[in-house]
Amino acid sequence: MFRYLAIALLSAPVLAWAAAAHEARADFSLITGGGKHLAIASEVSPLEINRMHSWRLRLTDADGAPLSNASIEVRGGMPDHDHGLPTRPEVIGEPESGVYLLQGLRFHMPGRWLLEFTIALDGNEDSASLELNL
Amino acid sequence: MSKNKAAIFAAALAAALLIRLLAPAPSPENWSESEAALIASLSLSALPPPRPDPSNAVADDERAAMLGQRLFFDPRLSANGAVSCASCHRPELAFTDGLPIAVGTGPGRRHTPGLLGVAHSPWFYWDGRRDSQWAQALTPLETHFEQGAGRAAIVRLLASDPDYKLLYEEIFGALPDPARLPDSASPLGGDAEREAWQRLDADARFAVSSAFANAGKALAAYQRTLLPSPARFDAYADALARDDATIQRQQGDALSREEIAGLALFIGAAQCVNCHNGPLFTNHDFHNTGILPLAGKLPSLGRFDGVRLAREDPFNCLGEFSDAAPAQCAELRFAKDDGELAGAHKTPGLRNATLTAPYMHTGRIATLAQVLRHYNEAPTAMLGHNEAKPLGLSRRQLRQLEAFLHTLAAAPP
Repeated sequence: MFRYLAIALLSAPVLAWAAAAHEARADFSLITGGGKHLAIASEVSPLEINRMHSWRLRLTDADGAPLSNASIEVRGGMPDHDHGLPTRPEVIGEPESGVYLLQGLRFHMPGRWLLEFTIALDGNEDSASLELNL
Repeated sequence: MSKNKAAIFAAALAAALLIRLLAPAPSPENWSESEAALIASLSLSALPPPRPDPSNAVADDERAAMLGQRLFFDPRLSANGAVSCASCHRPELAFTDGLPIAVGTGPGRRHTPGLLGVAHSPWFYWDGRRDSQWAQALTPLETHFEQGAGRAAIVRLLASDPDYKLLYEEIFGALPDPARLPDSASPLGGDAEREAWQRLDADARFAVSSAFANAGKALAAYQRTLLPSPARFDAYADALARDDATIQRQQGDALSREEIAGLALFIGAAQCVNCHNGPLFTNHDFHNTGILPLAGKLPSLGRFDGVRLAREDPFNCLGEFSDAAPAQCAELRFAKDDGELAGAHKTPGLRNATLTAPYMHTGRIATLAQVLRHYNEAPTAMLGHNEAKPLGLSRRQLRQLEAFLHTLAAAPP
């Protein structure tokens, strides 16, 4: 009972927030080694440390056409401190064509972070990296 | 080199040394914009309300907090009737015990961590073996060297004490009938307790575990209210944030030059703020900093074990006693579990650190001065690798850092 009540109570403010926050999102644009475009929009903007959040990844070809059914993995860490991400973020779905939801991101230290996206599509593997300074 | 040149060189060197020694500590007037923002981010004024705990439907219920407070100080919640939560988490010591290693009904395994502000953390225990404050609160009750009462005994106490029964049933509904419960039964106890647990039917086991989980949820509701009080540092940081030159100078006087110099090191060259960040001076995460293991013991695997134990815990966010939907258990679902976590332990907050000696998960470092020397040297870890690097700070700088840590102490609430 509590479980369903909790879902109902929590989903309304989250949906309202999503609409209001859309314009203020942190955006990053990457081009993969193979020429694909990966546009990243963070749920939290500007990025903050110590906060669990998700990113939306829009994957398109060089002409802007969405690329569906890709498998996207993210790895990363702080090269200056010799450690990885504090969590294991995962793409949990593709809510619309070419748009992937990456959940479970949290940064726990200020400084330089390096993220590597590996994209597998139609038997080919491609990658792009993102450097962040928090 | 001629004599004159040598004299000029020596004089220049002496002047440089003198300038270095007499250089003013940073003052409220000359923090950079980014330093000022970093200082503001450490103030208690920047602390949001504790993170919601969807796994505990009564986390913010005042009646549950009232029940939890009574349970917290009640030694009847132990196998020998002598150990309460407060035996180790003593309010006057910022909810620590002053011992290297905790002593409950028997000798413990770790140094007792403080509780002020701990509701802000997503993980509990030094190794993060529990993913909620209520799941944590249940664990000592069934650990034989902590309180070790076992879940059936806890539920019998709730059902047989009229005050507990009234308060519990007002919040959670009917308790199991104590006449139908054994004196002692737990899936985690000794042989006799485990046998008694197996003799209960599945419905009785579920009813006891549910009521036991509710006791943990009440204990968590109380512990969520335990927050640190503002300290001298906060008055300084808040004045700086208000950007009022007069107040800044006054508050600047509230921190000595040595303390301000310590703050500058803390957020700068000493790199403390990398992990000891935010208003509680912790990122609530896990790091290997080369802490010596307990004397004569192998080093603890730390978070590497902790994440596995949290996943196995029947009282975790995804378990049948949780009030959360699976989608709300992000920390548990996306927890990392690779070998990098070997030897990593939770970053403790630094507020009231002057009250909580000795230090580290093993309690093996007796004083703050020794803690600072440890980080200055960054020794090689026995297990995994030390993430910290040697700092090369002078003895004076270490004293300044220690002076700054004293500005984070506040009278117990």
